[in-house]
Amino acid sequence: MLRNLVRWQACRILLNKSAVAQVAAVRHLSNPFKQNPHEKAATEEPATRIKKPGNPFAKATVAQELSFNVEEPETVIDKPVNPFGKAPVAQELPSSQHVSETKEEREKRLKVLQLEVDIAYQEGRRVPALEFFQEHHWARVLELPTKSARSKYYAFLWQIEMKKESNQRKKEERAVETERRVAEIRKERAENNHIVYGLAHTSMFLRIYDSTINHWQNNRLTRAMQFAPKLVLDCSYDQYMTNRESSYAAKQLMLCFAENRMNDEPFDLHYCNSNFEGNCMQILQRYIPTMHNPEFPINVHRECFTELFPKKQLVYLTPHCREDLVSYDPDDIYIVGAMVDTVNNEPLSLAKAKRLGLRMARLPLDRYLQWGAGSGKSLTLNQMISIMLDLKKTGDWDTALQHVPRRKVVDYHNEREALNKRAGKFNVRIDHLLKSEGDRRTSTAFAEPQKLRHRKEGMDFKLDSWATGKRKTKQSS
Amino acid sequence: MYKLRLLCQLQHSCIRGLPPHRFLASAHKRRPQLGAVQSDQLEQLKSEYFARSEALSNAEWQHVRSVLSGRNKYISAHNVDAVILGMCASGEQLPLAKSYLRYLETSEIEPNAATLGRLLRVYHSAHQLRMLSDKEQSEIMQICDRLQGSHEILDASSCENLIYGLVATTEHWQRAVHFLQMMKVTSTPTVSAYSAVAAKAFTCSQPELAWRLLEEMLEQRKLPKCEVYVAQLESSARDVAGFALQVDRLLHFLGKHNILITDKVAQQLLNLAQQMPQQLQVTSTHLERLGKCAACQQHLEHVAISEAEFASLRDAFLDKVLIRNDIFQKSTPAEVERFKRYVEQTAPYDCVIDGLNVAYSTGNKKPPTQLAQLLATVVRYFKERRKRVLVLGRQHMRSWSKPAMQYIQSNACVFLTSNISQDDPFLLYATLHSGQDTDFFSRDLMRSHAFLLGNELKSTFRRWQQEHQYSLATQTQPMGKIVVKEPIRYLLSTHKLDKGVWHVPCIESYTANPSDRFEVPQRWLCVKLAATN
Repeated sequence: MLRNLVRWQACRILLNKSAVAQVAAVRHLSNPFKQNPHEKAATEEPATRIKKPGNPFAKATVAQELSFNVEEPETVIDKPVNPFGKAPVAQELPSSQHVSETKEEREKRLKVLQLEVDIAYQEGRRVPALEFFQEHHWARVLELPTKSARSKYYAFLWQIEMKKESNQRKKEERAVETERRVAEIRKERAENNHIVYGLAHTSMFLRIYDSTINHWQNNRLTRAMQFAPKLVLDCSYDQYMTNRESSYAAKQLMLCFAENRMNDEPFDLHYCNSNFEGNCMQILQRYIPTMHNPEFPINVHRECFTELFPKKQLVYLTPHCREDLVSYDPDDIYIVGAMVDTVNNEPLSLAKAKRLGLRMARLPLDRYLQWGAGSGKSLTLNQMISIMLDLKKTGDWDTALQHVPRRKVVDYHNEREALNKRAGKFNVRIDHLLKSEGDRRTSTAFAEPQKLRHRKEGMDFKLDSWATGKRKTKQSS
Repeated sequence: MYKLRLLCQLQHSCIRGLPPHRFLASAHKRRPQLGAVQSDQLEQLKSEYFARSEALSNAEWQHVRSVLSGRNKYISAHNVDAVILGMCASGEQLPLAKSYLRYLETSEIEPNAATLGRLLRVYHSAHQLRMLSDKEQSEIMQICDRLQGSHEILDASSCENLIYGLVATTEHWQRAVHFLQMMKVTSTPTVSAYSAVAAKAFTCSQPELAWRLLEEMLEQRKLPKCEVYVAQLESSARDVAGFALQVDRLLHFLGKHNILITDKVAQQLLNLAQQMPQQLQVTSTHLERLGKCAACQQHLEHVAISEAEFASLRDAFLDKVLIRNDIFQKSTPAEVERFKRYVEQTAPYDCVIDGLNVAYSTGNKKPPTQLAQLLATVVRYFKERRKRVLVLGRQHMRSWSKPAMQYIQSNACVFLTSNISQDDPFLLYATLHSGQDTDFFSRDLMRSHAFLLGNELKSTFRRWQQEHQYSLATQTQPMGKIVVKEPIRYLLSTHKLDKGVWHVPCIESYTANPSDRFEVPQRWLCVKLAATN
């Protein structure tokens, strides 16, 4: 009965309101994470987006989406859907343990921590000198929960300090070395009375500046934004990653953008669910300072992708599901979860896709690659983007999966070459054996080795069919 | 290279007499402190100057100092003093340390706070070997006053050094408690700091303070060191009348917190029993079948948890483990609902079987017929004993061999989750909701679920798990008979039987963070105390 009620409400909204209001209503209602817990009306999305009349009496799948979405808006943002709990589960955020302290307490703690650093420095532990620390370092130190977390952070800063000192030392050494070399050359030239030959850094080539290339690639991107298929990077996993993982994720997001831009046929990349105050986006801003400029061809959104694109077109690529992606469909919008999951191995992207009722797929890594032992099947974001770009271009999984690092894959090709070389030394032809490895039935030791020159096939002179006008179709071997 | 460093560390630790497993356990995580990097030259330096425990002359100290700061790029003027004092850390090298301080005085180098802290540690190690003279104690007090005066709140390592120093004196150790409080500003106080103060409190006849500190330690989940128990036993031995009461209190404490005592403490107990046979009788023993003590031939107590504990475990389980923050990570709402209804309809059971865990017990790559066969064998095991079982699995099991699956369907209740859901939480939920008498069958140690339940419920969960978990040990080859490991139904921690006899499990040596135990301890002590009112 509830379902009928819901359908009736949806109908009412769609039929009574104007198109704009419809779209607005739909956009308003469709995001489960929106901060509006009082919406009781159901959602009916994909139809209106594609400008087809909404069909509220459509099949069961729609009703299932309805039932999901009816439950969602009744709860507060990010609250777990607990249909069995007596009361909503109080969510404990891991970082909200510290009670807000007064300014004096903070000052006191800061002084004690500075003393801690000083004493550790005097003991010869891995901490930098007090003068190295700056405001933002202390801000980070004060947030860390335990002493061991602080020691690890100090060790990190110490490494930076040591690298800096070592670079400084090497720079000075190099400066001295250069001085000496230049002085020597000058001396030589002063003694020498002849002409000095050489172009002396003159060149006939035009220098191509980086900015020229950047402008050219950005132009490609603007064209992609108009015509190319879309790909979404879902940046909503900030709270599940540690600080370090967020910075790795930010670097990978930057590399995604770069890889995409460099390709001949880029995607229209959308960074959805981005939290601009979070660590990941802050570091991405450091990598791409012009990120928020309106003329820069990057799409960064606060909203969720379900608000921007119709649900029917979305496919979430997650490694935790069972269905392989068989072929690339240019009408689908693929979503990649922008998360570095070294620490947290919960199936978060799977959970999200299930909750939103999206289609899910995973890359067919097992089918096309022999995975080596001892390396996880995780791929970085830029590797994913490269794979999708190649897949879009060629439709061939083998070329696309070239972007998986070779160290993770057991490489039979090298072994085969080595084997072939050794056989060649004994004058034994074995490539016919190695070629049809997969098909055991045809590869035997007595099978005919193939001819060396494949080019000339079909070009040899056949007397029977010459000038007869008949074309003898050659059967494929 | 990595192994070489381990070997070096082992060698050095043997020289110093520290337990080697301390280095092996987390050697890959620990980085050696910079000053303690032992290269060949430093090794030579160490054997030349630091091996003898007498004072060195000023010239020799100067040489050592220059060598250290010259050869090692991480040691320079600001940290070489602390490094040197770190190298003469053992109790016999106290005169060496003091001579270094005298050298610093003559060369007009002001020793920094870290150096003084390390000196206090050397005093503490010396105190553990012998009593310190009055002069030495006054030196300690001077240093303490100096360190305390420089800053209002001190950091954690300085506080710890001060605690070590104060505990080495006889009159001023009470101030160490104040420093323990100060340590809490920046970090939780270390096990060593707590243990030092508690042991001193016992030795100086202030048991209430000591017990308070021990309770505090266990709230932070830090295990007290052996020296605390040894000190407690020694101090209670001095007072013959109340001795039995004190030992009783110690044993209660061990039982409540599920602590195993080390061989050292066990030896101390045995010694005391020999000294005072009327008050205390201790025998070293082991357990026979079904939890019978070999010495007194009595059965140990049952491990069952109380009704209230069971109820709280059951209620918390669904929220904390299955749903947690996001139901979709482990399952879907529809599936949980379906499962709840099924359990309500078909409960109670005698055993809940984790189908996939059982099926894959003998190996991962077996064909589905064999997997189904193994599962059917386990179901038959229970059927022979007239037990009612529930089998949990996943949808793909429908395609396993028909005869085996039909046997299972006809002799057990079956629930199959979707292929992408986790089935472990369902197993535990069904077992808990079926009642106190239900067991479950799985080889899984359930570590993640124990963690997710939180600290308070974790111990309850482990006891319940110990009482109710069957697991498949192995399957004999030609016949295919299965060997089932039944749950251990007797209590594995220190407890008292009705007749007033205590049984205390022992472990070989002390570990700071023991993981959950799943085996029965090998060595037990059977302790009989004199009658207490």
